[in-house]
Amino acid sequence: MDDFPIDKIQISGATLASLLHRSSSSAGDLHGYLFGHATVSTPNPLSDHPTATTTTSLLAVTITSFLSLPSHLPLPPPPSPTNSAALLGWFSSRRKTPLRPSLKDTTTARSLTSLASRAFTPQNSTLSLSPSIFLLVTTPFQDQLIHTHEYKAFQFKVNAFEPKSLNIVNIGPSFRSQYESFSPNVQFPMMDFELRGSNAMVEDEQGESLADRKKQLRDQKQLDTCAEGFDVGRLSKLMGSEAAYTGELEDLYDKMLAKIDGLSKLVEQTNAKVLEQENHNMRLRCRVAGLE
Amino acid sequence: MAIDTVPPLVAAQLNYLISHCPFSVKVEQMWSGCKNPSLLDRFTLVIPYCLDYIKWDVIYNAMYPLAAPDVIFGPEDESFQPFYGGNEKSRKNSLADWNSKDPARLLSLIIELRDAYIAYQRRRIEEVDDDRLKFEISTMLSREGIEMYMTSCTDKPEEVKFAVPLLDMGLNKLVAGSTWRHPQKIYLQVVFPVGKKHSTPPPPRLKLISSAELKALFSIEDFRLPPWLDGMCTAEYLPTLEEMLESQIKDAVSSVEMRRKFITALVPLFGRPIEADPVFCRRATFLASSGVFTFLVHFSLSLQFPKQQAGLTLQSSQHFNSNGMPVKSPNLSEYPWSPRWEPSEMADRIFDFLADECLNFKKYCNQLNQQ
Repeated sequence: MDDFPIDKIQISGATLASLLHRSSSSAGDLHGYLFGHATVSTPNPLSDHPTATTTTSLLAVTITSFLSLPSHLPLPPPPSPTNSAALLGWFSSRRKTPLRPSLKDTTTARSLTSLASRAFTPQNSTLSLSPSIFLLVTTPFQDQLIHTHEYKAFQFKVNAFEPKSLNIVNIGPSFRSQYESFSPNVQFPMMDFELRGSNAMVEDEQGESLADRKKQLRDQKQLDTCAEGFDVGRLSKLMGSEAAYTGELEDLYDKMLAKIDGLSKLVEQTNAKVLEQENHNMRLRCRVAGLE
Repeated sequence: MAIDTVPPLVAAQLNYLISHCPFSVKVEQMWSGCKNPSLLDRFTLVIPYCLDYIKWDVIYNAMYPLAAPDVIFGPEDESFQPFYGGNEKSRKNSLADWNSKDPARLLSLIIELRDAYIAYQRRRIEEVDDDRLKFEISTMLSREGIEMYMTSCTDKPEEVKFAVPLLDMGLNKLVAGSTWRHPQKIYLQVVFPVGKKHSTPPPPRLKLISSAELKALFSIEDFRLPPWLDGMCTAEYLPTLEEMLESQIKDAVSSVEMRRKFITALVPLFGRPIEADPVFCRRATFLASSGVFTFLVHFSLSLQFPKQQAGLTLQSSQHFNSNGMPVKSPNLSEYPWSPRWEPSEMADRIFDFLADECLNFKKYCNQLNQQ
């Protein structure tokens, strides 16, 4: 199961930058999970050369997000796979160490890949992959101004780390295919176009409206996770040919931005609290360790 | 400027490791891995293995010194994965229930990992497809404490090295009053080339290696290895070698007694030595005078004493050269000597010789000062 070779590991520039920033701003070493998705593609060799007829499929994984915590804390039990992001593997970031997997890295990789329940299936395939990606981030032994980080990606295969190249996805024409294959993963409620005015309304109004009401509540809840105070009923105005389309759409975007804004404020506040607590913990730890 | 400090919990474990380890572990470098660069929490350990060294990086976390350390092995040992396989019982290792307050923890971890490393190298070598090597391993492994190592450089031919400890006779007890801290050992290094198919395999490279401190008693450089005959195996070779070594070491020990008797015989003539090596009796210094000229007599006694005569130098305590160093004579060897003489006669002859020689030395010193 875990022996299927990965041909390409990709990470978006923004995710890598965020990971490196998190590593360099932390007080000590970090580790955490990597999330993303995998795709199997069959490249179409556009070549006249007769030998270029191999149609092996390529397995590419893309890291889109991560979760980090100080490495003295054990990794939490891996989260269950969701539709949007599968658990691809994990990373370890430690300052001024050789760019080689350590004893702990080996042990962690082994236990993570042996968890059959965490296996995921790439899009358009029937393969089953275990979270076998390992990204190692270190810093050079001598402090340098420009070269501040080093990283290396591995796939843990047959109980050994196999080095893999890491492609960084950025903006530009050469990454066009990346964006073309992008699929949004925000879950919107189903928008059903209602045929009004038919006599369907008349029959069994009582029972139907109860079911309707339930569905509407559920949809509203789902919509509330993306937008701030946008009535689910208005979604139907986005369908069909009603004139208010542009206005409604702009309003929806505004509400979505408001939601993101509200969320980021919340994150900011909680982060400040976490930082305060972390600083307090660090003082206590220093006292326990006799560093004061 | 902050002074570099090692977190106390880490320092306690490291100090315990260095002072209690049965083999001599050294710390090559220490550095910091946290934002505050004055807290040193990672270091490279140099660990003796198979007459060579392996270097392991031990990674602690200064921000959280209660946590167990991590270890990064050498670049050539990427496939070394300790604590893997085996049954549930063997999986229980010293990292599993780490207690940062116990200073002996790092020591037991390193010993455990080194044992795992020995097993790992042995497993690798047993997989090598070489008939002679397989035979060597099967005949040699009844001996205890053999370490082996396979070089896996891409630019050099593959070799398998064995370090065979010789003479289970407790060298530390041979010399009364020795202050050796680590057990003294003599090893035979046997290096087999592998990988290439030969019709008659070439003889292995052999080398005798001893722990450094043993050189005060016995010099393995002076030992001639018995010849390796065609078609021989190490198990056949070892008994002859050990027999020869044992008799030579016994000679070396009796040579200490000879040297001691010689120094004792000097006492009635020269007075008590100012300084002498009481354990191996390799050096002794006496104060002597001729009229008002006072000087020191240095005796240096080689391991081959009395076959090789004592080295004799004089040092004036009144004359100094332009650098302010006391004037010394060159090594005096033109004095009467026979290894068959009794120690008292040796001492008598030297005393007579020096009675004349010191006048020459005095002249030499005066001339030097006049220049």
